Amino acid sequence: MKPEVDQILNLSAMQMLGTLAPLLPQGYATGSASLLAFMMMLSAQEYDRAADIRVAENADMRALFAALAPKVHGDLRQNLEAAAATEDASLKISALDAGNAELRKLLAELHEAVEEDATANTRIWTVLRAMADRRVLKLPGQ
Amino acid sequence: MSEDISERLAIYLSGKLGHTVEVANLSRIPGGASRETYRFRARYNGQDRGLILRRDPPASLIETERSAEFRAYQAFHGLGLPVPEPIALELGTAALDRPFFVMAEIENCAVGSIVAAEPYGAHRQKICEQFFTTLGKIAKADPASIGLADFDGVHDVTTTWKHELERWEKVILEDEREPQPIARAAIRWLRKHPPPPAQKISVVHGDYRSGNFLFDGEGDIRAILDWEMAHLGDPLEDLGWALDPLWSNGMLGRDEAIAIWERASGLTVDRAALPWWEVFASLKGLAIWISAANEYAEGRNSDPVNAFSGWYCLAFHNKVLADRLGGAA
Repeated sequence: MKPEVDQILNLSAMQMLGTLAPLLPQGYATGSASLLAFMMMLSAQEYDRAADIRVAENADMRALFAALAPKVHGDLRQNLEAAAATEDASLKISALDAGNAELRKLLAELHEAVEEDATANTRIWTVLRAMADRRVLKLPGQ
Repeated sequence: MSEDISERLAIYLSGKLGHTVEVANLSRIPGGASRETYRFRARYNGQDRGLILRRDPPASLIETERSAEFRAYQAFHGLGLPVPEPIALELGTAALDRPFFVMAEIENCAVGSIVAAEPYGAHRQKICEQFFTTLGKIAKADPASIGLADFDGVHDVTTTWKHELERWEKVILEDEREPQPIARAAIRWLRKHPPPPAQKISVVHGDYRSGNFLFDGEGDIRAILDWEMAHLGDPLEDLGWALDPLWSNGMLGRDEAIAIWERASGLTVDRAALPWWEVFASLKGLAIWISAANEYAEGRNSDPVNAFSGWYCLAFHNKVLADRLGGAA
């Protein structure tokens, strides 16, 4: 599609900031319009990277589960092994998010279970830090 | 809507102040998502003064005690700190449909943006020194002597950390819309590494940071705002929050800020305790942003501040916590 969605969002934000917001009454209206424009710019960032972030996170968590499942027992181990064997069936954001939420829930359980194991703890934090890094949003001008 | 509020507000203030009050130029201004904030002129008894109305939104972001917020304004305004004069508190819904309070407007001032690279310009040093000096004075104040001994919180210096951690853990558990593994890990870390007992129990502002104070063109702080999360607790809670990276843009470095705070408070920062409160600050931030995201997603409060907080700020604090706790793993 031309123009792309991120370009539409960015140019619309500039239009809102430069042309529309100055026409509004000073105060809450201009402040809110500016913030909405800001979020349109953040949405433009997210449009391009959203699927990539989720696919990468889900892959990281599955690999982690496969590696650390042997360290736990019972239902948690079975759940980790089953989750490690799953795949993202769709690249729709809603589908990726649903899978991501399931994996995050398991990740929290796994972390609590093996936190005292220094090697496992370090591996989990490596994944968590990568997840946090990917999700950080850059403000316009940064 | 504004005209309707103006008329009803005038009737209310006339009864409260004992004079016929005319309300003019009422307009909504930015003031966070937890209260609707309006500026207006009040004309009565030969006066023409600017006032601020803070009214509850249809759904409040964090359930906060309005009378406590108002009493904090009263106490610290009375102590001579830069805090707007509180005028009236109304907890009923008859006057303006929702509870509200009215305070003096501090005119011709600016707010430092948390997203601006240099929010304080040439007055940076002066403003930042006043910022940490005033925070030190809040810590120094004796809650009982300013009438706030019955404030929310605990008086036990050994358990105040636990009380606050449980408060915000509950918010996360109730409001999270997706699992938050970094928040869960941070909660466990905070439990496993409790801080030393507080040196004293102080009034904690609860949201003392850039964006919540007004400064004038001479670089003087004229108003500390947003006392809605004020409570009793460890004064290091406010210091940890004020030092958080989310609002450190344009602020002083950590060591200089701590030295100023120590001089004003008469306390010595326990360097072993402060990191706990800094991690707690980022977790508390996560809790607030998670709550904001939930309010927005549920359609209870569509203020764009909630969307921004629940997205940008949430991602920011997840990274801060992952770097702090994961870096040491």
